[in-house]
Amino acid sequence: MESRILRPTLAIYSGIFLLFLYGPMIVLAILSFQSADGGPQFPIREWSTYWYQHLLGLAETSRVSQLPVGDSLIRSIILAFMTTVVSTILGVMSAEAFRTKFKGSGPAFYLIILGMMVPGVLVGLGMALLSNTLGISRAWFGTSFVLHVVYTYPFAFLVLLAIFNRFDRTVEEASMSLGVSPAQTFRRVTFPIIFPGVLSAMLFSFTLSYDEFSRTLFTAGRELTLPLAIYGTFSVEIYPNLFAFGVLTTLFSFTLLVIYGLLMKRFTSKASRFKGQEEG
Amino acid sequence: MLTLNRVSRRYGETIALDGVDFVVPENTYMSLLGASGSGKTTLLRLIAGFEEPDQGEISINGARIDGQPSHLRDIGFVFQNFALFPHLTVFENVAFGLRHRVNAPVKNEKEIKERTDNALELVGLEGFGHRAVSAISGGQRQRVALARTLVTEPRIVLLDEPLGALDANLRSRMCDELKAIRERLKVSFLHVTGSETEALMMGDKVAVLADGKIVQTGAPDTLFAEPLNAASARHMNAWNIFDASLCAGPVGQGAIAVRFDQIDISATGQAPETRPHLKAKYLTGEFNGPTALSFFRAEDGTLLQIIDHLSQPRLPDLVEGESYDLHFAPDAVRQFHGAA
Repeated sequence: MESRILRPTLAIYSGIFLLFLYGPMIVLAILSFQSADGGPQFPIREWSTYWYQHLLGLAETSRVSQLPVGDSLIRSIILAFMTTVVSTILGVMSAEAFRTKFKGSGPAFYLIILGMMVPGVLVGLGMALLSNTLGISRAWFGTSFVLHVVYTYPFAFLVLLAIFNRFDRTVEEASMSLGVSPAQTFRRVTFPIIFPGVLSAMLFSFTLSYDEFSRTLFTAGRELTLPLAIYGTFSVEIYPNLFAFGVLTTLFSFTLLVIYGLLMKRFTSKASRFKGQEEG
Repeated sequence: MLTLNRVSRRYGETIALDGVDFVVPENTYMSLLGASGSGKTTLLRLIAGFEEPDQGEISINGARIDGQPSHLRDIGFVFQNFALFPHLTVFENVAFGLRHRVNAPVKNEKEIKERTDNALELVGLEGFGHRAVSAISGGQRQRVALARTLVTEPRIVLLDEPLGALDANLRSRMCDELKAIRERLKVSFLHVTGSETEALMMGDKVAVLADGKIVQTGAPDTLFAEPLNAASARHMNAWNIFDASLCAGPVGQGAIAVRFDQIDISATGQAPETRPHLKAKYLTGEFNGPTALSFFRAEDGTLLQIIDHLSQPRLPDLVEGESYDLHFAPDAVRQFHGAA
């Protein structure tokens, strides 16, 4: 009885909520198909893919200069990749360490978590001051990289902590009772079992680093990362080429998510592939 | 031969093991019987090297193994929850030890296949190698766990309540199979359990662990018929233990024990003069199929149980709440020294 009213209401509510979440992106995607003489607002003069061509340098010269995103995009991807590798390795190692209580594990835990709690602006500023004092020049692959790791490592750590929390230690003991060394046990047993968690940690690290702004702002030095480059164009004038770029990066993120989903599915279905029947 | 010498283990204030002396001879099926919380799993974990004793020595054939990392001890361990590797097939689970162990890993694929198939055949799982471990039943998982351990030919196999996760029917079948497999391989098994029937049925020898100590070791029939102390009598779940002062007649002093099936009942005042007897109130009966169990409360509150075999009934009709005289032959009594 109740559900006859409640369920449709909840459905409508959820629909509106999702629309609210993705509304800005939808508007942005629509406006990216504006014609060459249109501005960054409605109405659409004429549907075209002009701004995509413009973005990729395929359009004939126009009054609007090309978005300076090429180099910064590559920088951002490299930085995100480096951050992912380091944060995930650190996350796995420290989560493994936290499986047993050790002296000072409480403070150590909170110090790690602090990296994602403190305001990015403050850390960024602090890092800038510190590097000036020490005479270290600021660069996206140096000072920014360190802050990206400080920021994303707690996320990777927490994800893996949750995974290890449910981890059945006896499979490791079983491996060792078969004469397999602890290192091999980690490689052959522990790591394959926690792999979905590692994948999630990587995804977190990558996406967080890829669009990190405030920490990077103070520490990147002269060569900008993608979010900084985009922000830089705001101060001049906005053209729909920025929207086209937004659509493309969103597609890129979706691709990452799809790869993540496929890997995840492949991995988790492995254990139940033969459920209830003979292999064909 | 596995020898434990005065082995102790504490967890904070709790004493799990308190100076255990214990020997598992070669080529023996040894059962270790203990109530939950008696420290029996701790004992196995110390032997396997997952934990270290606070005091004492553990050795195999005279060579000390305590302090050695567990992967160098060459001791097999079958877990209560089987602990199979969820990401590997049945075959790869069994082949795991051969492939990846530190000492003498097998590199030859043909030999791995041959030995793995032999182990699967030994436990009755031919043709299951390609299955995922999530796609087989509990009993089959138990066999995979066993095959995985046996294929590496350990010096001794520790089994931690290996049948605990199986249903009753499967359990009795696995009992027979475990025994048969062990006899073929001639390796010692140390089987830990909380069930006295399992311990008595499986073991060539049975040890009883109570309060962190081995209180008695012996052949199953000896242990059952002649427990040396109240603790091991209590673990047989077949003995009434009560204070001798409850009884009229020649019974001595202190704690005594009389087996469930060796007590007879008569109306109050009707007990034969020559037999020790005591007064107790009938509480209730419990029908178990081939046997029936009757519960009595003695005058000091001790609960007494009497077993009657349906084929040879020897009890009168009992009325709940009525008092009766329970009597038994003088030589049915076991006398213990010390507290009950």
